[in-house]
Amino acid sequence: MISKLKDFLGFDIKAEKYKLSSDPQFGMISDYKKPDKWVFSTCGYCGVGCGLYIGVKDGKAVYTKGNPTHSVNKGTLCPKGLSEHQLINSPDRISEPKIDGKDVTWNEAFKKTSDTFKRVAQEKGSKSVAIISTGQLLTEEFYALGKFAQLGLKTNNFDGNTTLCMASAVAGYKQSFGSDGPPSSYEDFEYADMIILVGANIADNHPILKLHINKNKKKPFIVVIDPRVSKTAQMADLFIPINPRTDLALFNTLAYIILEQGWENTEYITASTNGLSDLKKHLQDYPPQEVSNITGIEVETLYELARQFVKAPAALSAWTMGVNQSALGTDTVSAIVNLHLLTGQIGRVGTGPFSITGQCNAMGSRESSFTSSLPGYRPFGDEEVAREYAELVNVPVELVPTERGYKYAEIIDAIDRGEIKALWIIATNPLVSFVNQKKLRSALKKLDILVVQDAFMSDTALEADVIFPAATWGEKEGTYTNSERRCNKANRAVEPFGNSKSDFAIFLEFSGYFGFKDLIYPSWSEPKDAFEEFKRVTKNQLCDYSAMSYKLIEELKGIQWPCNEASPKGTARLYSENMPFSTPNKKANLLCVEWLPLASDVCKAFPLMLNTGRTVEQWHTRTKTKSIAILDDLAPEAWVELNPKDAQILEVKSGDRIALSSINGRVENVIVKVTQKVKDGSVFVPFHFNTELVNTLTNSEFCPKSGEPNFKQSAIQLHSIKVPEGIKISEAEVSVQLVHQKVEELNIVIKDKEATL
Amino acid sequence: MKTPLESFIDFKAETDKQCGNYSIELPVLQDNEQYRFHFDAIACIGCRCCEVACNEQNNNPADIKWRRVGEMEGGEFPYTTQLFNSMSCNHCIDPECLKGCPTNSYIKLDNGIVFHNDDVCIGCQYCTWNCPYEVPTFHEERNIVTKCHMCHERLEVGQSPACVQACPSGAIEIEAVNVEEWLDGDIDTQGNMPNLTDARVSNSTTRYTLPQELPEELNSADEHHLKPFHKELPLVFMTVLTQISLGAFLALFLGTLLSNIGFEEPNFLMAIAVVVPAALGLPLSALHLGRPFMALSAMKNYKTSWLSREAILLGVFTILMSANTVLYFLEVPIFTRTLFEFITLVIGVAGIYSQSKIYMLAARPSWNRRTTMLKFFSTGYIGLFLIALISLMTQNHTASISLLALSMMIAVVHGFFSYEDRRDLYNHKINKEPIAKTLRLYNEYFPIYTKVRVTTFILGALALPLFVTILVGAGEYSNAIIILAISLIIMSVSEFIDRMLFYATSTCLGMAGSFFVGRQR
Repeated sequence: MISKLKDFLGFDIKAEKYKLSSDPQFGMISDYKKPDKWVFSTCGYCGVGCGLYIGVKDGKAVYTKGNPTHSVNKGTLCPKGLSEHQLINSPDRISEPKIDGKDVTWNEAFKKTSDTFKRVAQEKGSKSVAIISTGQLLTEEFYALGKFAQLGLKTNNFDGNTTLCMASAVAGYKQSFGSDGPPSSYEDFEYADMIILVGANIADNHPILKLHINKNKKKPFIVVIDPRVSKTAQMADLFIPINPRTDLALFNTLAYIILEQGWENTEYITASTNGLSDLKKHLQDYPPQEVSNITGIEVETLYELARQFVKAPAALSAWTMGVNQSALGTDTVSAIVNLHLLTGQIGRVGTGPFSITGQCNAMGSRESSFTSSLPGYRPFGDEEVAREYAELVNVPVELVPTERGYKYAEIIDAIDRGEIKALWIIATNPLVSFVNQKKLRSALKKLDILVVQDAFMSDTALEADVIFPAATWGEKEGTYTNSERRCNKANRAVEPFGNSKSDFAIFLEFSGYFGFKDLIYPSWSEPKDAFEEFKRVTKNQLCDYSAMSYKLIEELKGIQWPCNEASPKGTARLYSENMPFSTPNKKANLLCVEWLPLASDVCKAFPLMLNTGRTVEQWHTRTKTKSIAILDDLAPEAWVELNPKDAQILEVKSGDRIALSSINGRVENVIVKVTQKVKDGSVFVPFHFNTELVNTLTNSEFCPKSGEPNFKQSAIQLHSIKVPEGIKISEAEVSVQLVHQKVEELNIVIKDKEATL
Repeated sequence: MKTPLESFIDFKAETDKQCGNYSIELPVLQDNEQYRFHFDAIACIGCRCCEVACNEQNNNPADIKWRRVGEMEGGEFPYTTQLFNSMSCNHCIDPECLKGCPTNSYIKLDNGIVFHNDDVCIGCQYCTWNCPYEVPTFHEERNIVTKCHMCHERLEVGQSPACVQACPSGAIEIEAVNVEEWLDGDIDTQGNMPNLTDARVSNSTTRYTLPQELPEELNSADEHHLKPFHKELPLVFMTVLTQISLGAFLALFLGTLLSNIGFEEPNFLMAIAVVVPAALGLPLSALHLGRPFMALSAMKNYKTSWLSREAILLGVFTILMSANTVLYFLEVPIFTRTLFEFITLVIGVAGIYSQSKIYMLAARPSWNRRTTMLKFFSTGYIGLFLIALISLMTQNHTASISLLALSMMIAVVHGFFSYEDRRDLYNHKINKEPIAKTLRLYNEYFPIYTKVRVTTFILGALALPLFVTILVGAGEYSNAIIILAISLIIMSVSEFIDRMLFYATSTCLGMAGSFFVGRQR
């Protein structure tokens, strides 16, 4: 009472709480949360992989500060990174294991799960247990999980949300280079003369990359290719508003122009590539005039773009989800790679086809996790390779899987068919992030058991039969690999929340319930044990860790693999002069990749094209960011970006509410943002929000090679209160599109004929 | 291992930027120079690192933003321009916050930083009205206003401000500016940003680098936002009540004046009645302070702050009015009282003049109009009615008739000012955007309040008093008293509503906001 009165009268201005005081490392900072210690670590959000320090006070994480000596971020952090310590103390953390929503002991949770897994495996075969993991664990944990799934549970129906993310880049690199592995370095942004950002909104998603572009003293020519005028488009010297999902045609025609004009680098092509003559023939289907119709880019611009690309002493192409999340994702990646191979824009400073990864350790999962390949980028299905791996880790060769199992979407289909009865989901939230939610939700109901291992009470965890509460970033130790192949060290700053355990500890303990612990984790007790084994596994592979150590990684602020005796401090870029490709003849493949129109393009019923994406304030499905007020306040719900022309037809203005529908479902009550960032006929909605679940609408086309969903283009209709029937397009507009499709179909038919001839 | 701070020299050699490092190399200030922000809108990508870094640095809660990022858009697809403005304090050469602060809580440091001295702030929030950029923010937990001080504690020891350090684009920098050169013209070419208050208003020092070609029209991302300003209820009562007191005191003084030439003298009850509204209202105003116990220090800055002047003058006015009741009680000679009341009246007029000057702010276009001051004075009509009522009650019927007539005349004038005040919003030539928002608030947010206001005014201030006049003429005194009392209540309610709308529809100059959070104020 007295304190309330005192407060009302204003005696206390909380000066103590808001004063600053001097910290030996970072100078004047808030005294109230001045840490007792700073723990060296790496950011756990996106694939940029920024170096940072976590400030710990009285056992709690209170500060995150960028490491100024770290080459990735030079002391800067994005807004999520700057507030990252707050996620550790989120009210959505899970402290106890749960069965059917009730707190249980770890033993009970492990027992129930292992019993069910064993029963399902016995009844329907070991492959009827499936696992969907993530891109956010530590490499040591991925490696442990991979062994758990493939060698322990003997199921290859094991995939990650990385299939929703960068699987197309993996598959594209594999078919072009013979192996996964982004060839470039962030440093290349600093030395490139031309930078193409295609389907990459780095301003929202990888803001720290701007730091590297910023440091480029050559004032590079920046091209941004995107159907939407994103924040990133503002950096562009040339912005190309490409028609949705036509990028493959664009890169093919650029290759056409280069060959037509004789601008190719014959020397490089001869020395380092296969397939030029086939490619030449194939590209005849992509003359600029035709592609101009498809992409909406003027012929003149196409020639200018090709000319700039060839003229630039060093040209770099970087992409993210705009390219990957497409039914043609894999082939689009190869089309980009083609361009770099034809011109020799690879393996040198400032060059390369560079995929920027989404998650902090998507790369680590690619290297280690046994989903799309055996650990260490070893291919499936090669007996010699399998034997080599079995010997390295001392397991019977029969245990080593010979082929990849179901990919993410195929796992969901198999559940729907009743083929898979047990699902273990780790650190991912499909109930927000996966396409066609209606189908997903009905499929998951058919499971005998859904186990969710997560640090946060996600939408998916809420549906789980069993929950394994996991420790999160800042509570565990291991390594993350960033987009530029830099293996960074993340450290434990605070103890795991409540009764949660690190994912690594969970895998180790849980394996004991199946009796294969000693086989797959021989005398392992800490992440370092997995790391040491992984070093042996990667020796002489492209992703070579053999000369790394935790100590060295911290000392050098991350090490780019390959890191071995020959290059003990790592390798800045792949495929430089003395590094061969991983194909049988050590040359890269120029690939004949085909552009196809969308299977479900806009039509009279669904005349608008929906594009989904992210905003800088939120992380994926918001499990980490929704409780961080400073971020969530800035983007607390989804919005629909709508061109003024369409807004006029629908009689809506900014701030109004609108419904969206597609063939897959309907989303109500989304706030309208009228903007010239999108073209008329196109709309954009961020996918982060479970409240306005835009993945209810998304397209269920997938890339046949990578399994990646075609997230970025779905045909939808909008329904405003005043115009509930939505936008009508005229017959003429539909027929123009049909003509395009027909031309394409005709091309394919003609080509088929040529083939038979 | 080198600490981050020790790595500064290598770092700078390598990047040549202020961003990233926790240390900063600042130019030594020459004569007539001060520090300022440079914001490069070409480099900025709208990532909001600066906003978050600022709050993390200062331990501020999420809703107290010293630095904000605004978003604008113009042009037509695909030639769309997005422009961001990251702004904290502009460390003005002539800071309005400093001039208006009644407690001298603002100090312009030698290095140019506009520093807020938390200890002496009483949380009156006058600076939040004064600043044309909405920079100072009231921190409820702390009961005071807080603002950006360019991380002066860090600058002093060669460390970078949090926003400068955090920007991955190097878009925010600290530099030295020669004040004279800046004011001589650079301010007009480099000090302005679209959708931002003209730099000349308070001579902002922030230098902007803008894209070469900007579309003619750039819309703020928060254009659809319609958020009323605080209702400021303590101030609603305080201003209306003190104005009633002044009107009543005018009636009292006129009576005293006329009694010199033989008319009946005002009585003790009237002398008491004139004090009551002010005596109730003034202490009420302390309730809107973050730190009411320090209310009296609001009188400190009488040199430049109209708020201090108001506090002093209305305080003295009320004391003199109270003293005047003693004069009535002691029945001092009428001449002495006339003189005394004249002085009191002059001070009262000066008090309400200062009170209205408080709202004549460049930063607040809907307040900064002639009609504000006119209405502040004409609201006194209620006071005249009050004295008319007491005349009736004390059977001074002749006086009551003339007072009723005078009151109604002033009420009509007040009605005209109120009409003019609203009409002007439709035709206002400058500051169209904030004025249009004020209008939207009136029409879209408060339409019912507006109707009630008009109806009660016509009823309470015009129709019923007219009826009372007829009743008085007909000799129906007791009914007249009852109805006049009722109409007094109605007209007061009407003015309270009007004053509440005056505050709630206030809009400010400032920066572009963002889609969900608006300007974050």
